[in-house]
Amino acid sequence: MASISARRLSKELMEIKNDGCPVGINLIKADDFSTWWFTIEVMGESLYQNEQFTLQFRFDPQYPISSPAVQFIVTEGKQAPVHPHVYSNGHICASILGNEWSPVLSVIAVCVTLQSMLASCKEKQRPIDNDRYVKHAPENPKKTRFHYDGECQCYRIIPIQDLTIRFL
Amino acid sequence: MKVEIKNWHAVAQWRWDTGVSEANGMDDDEGDVCGICRVPYEGCCPACKIPGDDCPLIWGECTHVFHMHCLLKWIGTTASKQQCPMDRRTWGQSVPIFSSNTLSSFCSYC
Repeated sequence: MASISARRLSKELMEIKNDGCPVGINLIKADDFSTWWFTIEVMGESLYQNEQFTLQFRFDPQYPISSPAVQFIVTEGKQAPVHPHVYSNGHICASILGNEWSPVLSVIAVCVTLQSMLASCKEKQRPIDNDRYVKHAPENPKKTRFHYDGECQCYRIIPIQDLTIRFL
Repeated sequence: MKVEIKNWHAVAQWRWDTGVSEANGMDDDEGDVCGICRVPYEGCCPACKIPGDDCPLIWGECTHVFHMHCLLKWIGTTASKQQCPMDRRTWGQSVPIFSSNTLSSFCSYC
């Protein structure tokens, strides 16, 4: 029997294939329902012009009840964006990936939110506790309990589309 | 001309009365799916095989509608903080169309 995640993800994949991704976001690999990869660029004027990043989504069988594990890829010459909410190992401190996750969010909604998080960046810098975090970080960012207003100075990041309007 | 009817087949269609789809007309298909599993309300949640009374809808006080099984699965997690997935308000069940007896018998799922 197909898991909950497989059914939901096959619908999301079909939507991506039919409608395409939003500008600046491209699906590069989604061969199964456990790991997907996207490239993400910030369009227009920003601190990240001409930079392209790779975003990895890992899903467990309970997606979308449980949130996906989302991080930037930092191997094979790829780098995580230098951003106050992004650690150099690719882990992202964003509330919608943690305690603000909602099962009505989608992979594309997460991509768009992270894209706008980069677009609104004022100063390229790593989180204050980057070195300490990266030294002890778990492999899976979902095992980290980020403090969204704590040391790394991460604050709530609101999804770009208001949930109630989109699905009402 | 004389017409004699030899046999006939009745065909019926049903849908949950969510109170919104009628007003929205035909062009809004987003509104007709459960926001959690993205399956139409008239289909069933991923855990069920047969749509209908055994896989009913649930209405929140906030007016958002989901497959009952999908919503209960979410509300059952600590991550949900007992909040509606749409607006993050504390989930409160609106008075359902079903009698409370009927509803609790459906709940054997959880």
